[in-house]
Amino acid sequence: MRTDVTTGGHDEVAQQTQTATDAGRFRRGRRTRSARKIALGVAGIVGFLVTWQLLPTLGIVDPRYFPTATETLAQLGEDVRDLEFWRNVGRTLTKWGLGLLIATVLATVLGTIIGLVPFLRRATHTTVEFLRPIPSVALIPLAVLLFGYQIQSALLIIVYASFWQVFIQVLYGVADVDAVARDTARSFGLSRGSRVVNLVFPTALPYLMTGLRLAAAVALILAITAEMFIGNPGLGREIVFAQSAGNWPAVYALVIVTGVLGLIINLVFRAIERRTLSWHQSVRGEDVL
Amino acid sequence: MKKSLATLGVLAAAALALSGCTDSAAPPAASPGASGDAEPTEMTTVRVAALPIAETGALWAAMEEGIFEEHGLEIEVVPAQGGANAIPALLSGDIQFAIGQPFGPIRADQQDLGVVIVGNYANSNAEGDDVNAVVALGDSGITRPADLAGKKVSVNTIGAAGDLTIRKAVQDDGGDPSSIEFVEVIFPDVPAQLEAGTMDAAWAPDPFRGIVLGAGGVSVVQPYQATIPGLTVLTSITTQALLDEDPELVAAYAEAMAEALEWAASNEEAVRAAIATNLEIPEEAAAGITLPTFTWDLADAGIEELGDLAVEFAYIEAAPDYETMIQQQ
Repeated sequence: MRTDVTTGGHDEVAQQTQTATDAGRFRRGRRTRSARKIALGVAGIVGFLVTWQLLPTLGIVDPRYFPTATETLAQLGEDVRDLEFWRNVGRTLTKWGLGLLIATVLATVLGTIIGLVPFLRRATHTTVEFLRPIPSVALIPLAVLLFGYQIQSALLIIVYASFWQVFIQVLYGVADVDAVARDTARSFGLSRGSRVVNLVFPTALPYLMTGLRLAAAVALILAITAEMFIGNPGLGREIVFAQSAGNWPAVYALVIVTGVLGLIINLVFRAIERRTLSWHQSVRGEDVL
Repeated sequence: MKKSLATLGVLAAAALALSGCTDSAAPPAASPGASGDAEPTEMTTVRVAALPIAETGALWAAMEEGIFEEHGLEIEVVPAQGGANAIPALLSGDIQFAIGQPFGPIRADQQDLGVVIVGNYANSNAEGDDVNAVVALGDSGITRPADLAGKKVSVNTIGAAGDLTIRKAVQDDGGDPSSIEFVEVIFPDVPAQLEAGTMDAAWAPDPFRGIVLGAGGVSVVQPYQATIPGLTVLTSITTQALLDEDPELVAAYAEAMAEALEWAASNEEAVRAAIATNLEIPEEAAAGITLPTFTWDLADAGIEELGDLAVEFAYIEAAPDYETMIQQQ
């Protein structure tokens, strides 16, 4: 992710025109490539499902505790027609969204301030390195003690875990401002605010987007973990309920749902990243190569 | 173009799905209970943590019957995940009562957390089939408690009534309790893990005990019955703070629960039906579950014996202060 943004502005312009003129030539190649990509993707999924189906059928794992793919998908088909299932998806995604939002805002503001002031960076470094590796799940007893089974207890766990993903990225992103560009801005007499907007922000944006994508995945994992171990309503709690009732197809159907949610979230954030950073070398590079 | 097609596809799929959609959380159309002409009295909402297990059937059934409404209480069951979280949640004030193992308050008492047992909920069965047992595979060669010495035995939580009473039962049978290696395996995993050889024997309630026995397993010992016959399985817990601040609420809850549990004890069918609906298990499975003895009365709960046993086996340092820990309402 560490790409040099500010050097070689001419190259960028050159590349941009290159991309434009080559667009037609590339379109056809890109189409067959994406067709192959889809075919490979489908083959992968089919292979996975066939392997899954065979494992319990051939008795490699006990079919009583590991349902076949068809059995699980049938259960999933029943699930998606149940309103309560969608409410649970909503509950999980609400926690995820709120947690991610709080974490991102906090991390961006704090990361920018601390990253811009060398004194603060030095003063917080040790504390950050101490707090960062603490697994969020270890805070569950504390969260329950503070908020009981309310949504806040889940949010505490989610925000704690996803905060660091964004914070560290912003911290490095803010520090990555090119020295020449910074001096240029200063000699042109740009105000502090203008420097943040025109220099720091574009430099830190790719870092922020990476942090955001990582945090989005982490927030989903922690939302489901919180539901499983605290007992907030949502998909995680449903998994534990199905498990304690010994209803294995229901367990695996929900596990698939959480996986699909993760997949969708990752796709969405990749798309957002690509769109907001369309001007950036790292994204344009992908297109040309 | 491609995008709008995809959107259309998703919409079509959604429409298709929703047209045949059900709602498993919808409240039943009419309550079959005698709650009918409820007076417009002010209802107090009480949040109660309970485990999603068969024993909670009594609470679910009594709620459906409308017993709590008659006492001006609206119960909101908070499905607690394992008993460990219930005490912090009680202390946070988010819930007012919890239905949990007596070992939670015993441990809390060691730290003076102000957690009080205000009533019983369910006792194990002093004779006949008990609510849980140590089971092993038919060909394991384990038939009596003493055989567990030197073996791997699973319990759902180490350091509570399960392993404590198993140690005692093994000792009483002439085995060396310190040679047992306890491992934590959650109840639903017991049948599969026993077959996989993770452990030699497992402590489990129904329906998981039933699954093992049905497949040719042996019931080695019913540790509660063998050591403290009729030992309480679940008690009703709250905090000293609530007792001091709102004694009326605690009294109302106690009165309602006493009635609910007495009703549940003589309405087994309703309890089993509530288990089947709430745990989403087949009726036949619910019918085969051994129910505990539901009672609000702590007289025969055996908590003192459990506490003393915990001291004997060095689970806790000193006997709990029973006077403050148990305050029957």
